[in-house]
Amino acid sequence: MLRRRPLRLSAQIHALIVMNPMKFLQQPPRFLFFTGKGGVGKTSIACATAIELATRGQRVLLVSTDPASNVGQVFGIPIGNHITPVAAVPGLSALEIDPQAAAQAYRDRIVGPVRGLLPIDVVRGIEEQLSGACTTEIAAFDEFTGLLTDTTLTQAYQHIIFDTAPTGHTIRMLQLPGAWSGFLEEGKGDASCLGPLAGLEKQRAQYKAAVDALADPQRTRLVLVARAQTSTLVEAGRTHTELAAIGLSQQYLVINGVFPAAATAADTLAAAIVEREQAALLAMPVALTRLPTDRIALKPFNLVGLDALRHLLGDSAPVEAGGLPSEAALAAPSLAALVDEIALDGHGLLMLMGKGGVGKTTLAAAVAVELARRGLPVHLTTSDPAAHLAQTLDGTLEHLTVSRIDPQEVTAQYRAQVLATKGSKLDAAGRAVLEEDLRSPCTEEIAVFQAFSRVIREAGKKFVVMDTAPTGHTLLLLDATGAYHRDIVRQMGSTGVHFTTPMMQLQDPKQTKVLVVTLAETTPVLEAANLQDDLRRAGIEPWAWIVNNSVAATSVTSPLLRQRAHNELREIDAVAKHHARRYAVVPLLEDEPVGLDRLEQLAMNGVTV
Amino acid sequence: MKNIQIFDPALCCSSGVCGVDVDQALVSLAADLDWAKQQGLVVERFNLAQQPMDFAQNATVRGFLERSGAEALPLVLVDGEVALAGRYPNRAELTRWAGLAAATPALAEVAPAGGCCAGGRCG
Repeated sequence: MLRRRPLRLSAQIHALIVMNPMKFLQQPPRFLFFTGKGGVGKTSIACATAIELATRGQRVLLVSTDPASNVGQVFGIPIGNHITPVAAVPGLSALEIDPQAAAQAYRDRIVGPVRGLLPIDVVRGIEEQLSGACTTEIAAFDEFTGLLTDTTLTQAYQHIIFDTAPTGHTIRMLQLPGAWSGFLEEGKGDASCLGPLAGLEKQRAQYKAAVDALADPQRTRLVLVARAQTSTLVEAGRTHTELAAIGLSQQYLVINGVFPAAATAADTLAAAIVEREQAALLAMPVALTRLPTDRIALKPFNLVGLDALRHLLGDSAPVEAGGLPSEAALAAPSLAALVDEIALDGHGLLMLMGKGGVGKTTLAAAVAVELARRGLPVHLTTSDPAAHLAQTLDGTLEHLTVSRIDPQEVTAQYRAQVLATKGSKLDAAGRAVLEEDLRSPCTEEIAVFQAFSRVIREAGKKFVVMDTAPTGHTLLLLDATGAYHRDIVRQMGSTGVHFTTPMMQLQDPKQTKVLVVTLAETTPVLEAANLQDDLRRAGIEPWAWIVNNSVAATSVTSPLLRQRAHNELREIDAVAKHHARRYAVVPLLEDEPVGLDRLEQLAMNGVTV
Repeated sequence: MKNIQIFDPALCCSSGVCGVDVDQALVSLAADLDWAKQQGLVVERFNLAQQPMDFAQNATVRGFLERSGAEALPLVLVDGEVALAGRYPNRAELTRWAGLAAATPALAEVAPAGGCCAGGRCG
């Protein structure tokens, strides 16, 4: 008797779980925002959530700002920048906002009327000023505010789901009371760092209402999406703290794509991944551990199409991916082959660029070790806050020196120094505005780049390998205003030495090689392509691409990993054929690549080409 | 009341913190303008990156840009006539233009203006 009851109960519980499996889906408020690093699966989860709520009989509007958005593809209809009913899912409508297009429309609104009136180079300078990340961020948020506040537009929907969320920096700018009164009421004056807002026509009241809606737990839920990887968890932790401080208190955490321990199928790489993921989850930021948390298992199928998305939030057992061809390790150029070509120059600056978490520091170390092994003098300099990988290399290899720049430390020093010098004569109100301005993302980039510019000068005699670099946008502005040039002149002092500006050095492929680092996944490849476009605007042509952590470059037996390897091929093909002049593929290793031997394994992808 | 207008180069933040080296001239100007406001002075500022139309519609400013380029900014007009170019005004100059009584010693150390948002991402 007692033995049977639990069985029946568990069946009931199971049914409940299948109907309503995720915590973040319980009693959802009107607005749901999904946020996280690029590539964690925000858009897929937002789509699956929209389908789930619509299936429950709710009327749902799905808003996607993902530049790689395949929302239209998923539902088999073109969507675009207007609300479109999704016939395949009764109750669901969708809308795609392209932040780049929104930013372009904003630029056109400002620049269009003066084209032909002002000199061409002046117009070009204005456009560059308005090409930064802040403009894009603000222009996208401008589109949101209508959805958060305009009741005629949205009253037909019980839930509005966004696959992104405004950053703390954006919201702080919107909240800045002094800036509002200075700028929007008078239309002129001393708005600090509110620049990108100036051309936006929405009223102050609408922005305030939008920010109020965001901060209201009855109306808004923020879902942080991460992978079981340190970099995405750290990012989620930062977003959590930043947005909680601004008043977005109702937050949930979703760990997406967790490798099911039962599915390793005696594959040593799969077992290593499971172990690494568990370790990352144990070490996640403490603030995150207090949030209601869901885990979504890695699925053996591609998250494309309605059926696949319906199963994403369910707990279906992994299916054998039997239909996949058994693939041997991909034959692609190795990192060692790239380094052979780099070594020919004897010296120069190597900058590894890419989004956080793609493995810039590891690959910078691998490149540095490869060069040092060839007997060439190398200075590896890293800004990775957890740079123990690079630190362990110091002094272990002849010809190799290692130094480290702590971005938080140099940024804090820089802020303190600016406040102490330039802010010394300001009154309390003036200092407060200056302090707020110094929290902008520009500040860290400038502080770090100043620190790096001291090291760059060594590249005339030896190899300098850096794991970070300024964006093309930054370089253009620094160069356009001449501020950077002046800075260098000041640093060089009156030594009378002939010099070229770093901009000239960065544009010359003989002196500088940019290596774009990415992963073999849709969003990271797209982000890397955007980075490349940005650099090209600054006259810098990336020398090569490196696809890191590739499963396709290994031999695996686990069906889940075989599926992943299979999915990677399309992305690697796009890199090879469309994006990169040269490329290399670096395999995913079983162990963290720490220490000389393992770094060398990275350079070999097991295949001779 | 005199009409004082400052035409800034393309700035991201008029306080000047975004540059590779925070521009003391902009930081000081912000303080000086705050002071001027308390004296009842009205100073208008136009940012080339945000209000280019105001540059284009003013014949004096447009002519200045055509002759000397954006790098010669800022430009200060008093009642529509050029009062200063290539640097920002200090308190003494603001006082003189406004016809106020002798001002407290100027705070601003005058230096050529750099692009404020040279640092980038705010643009």
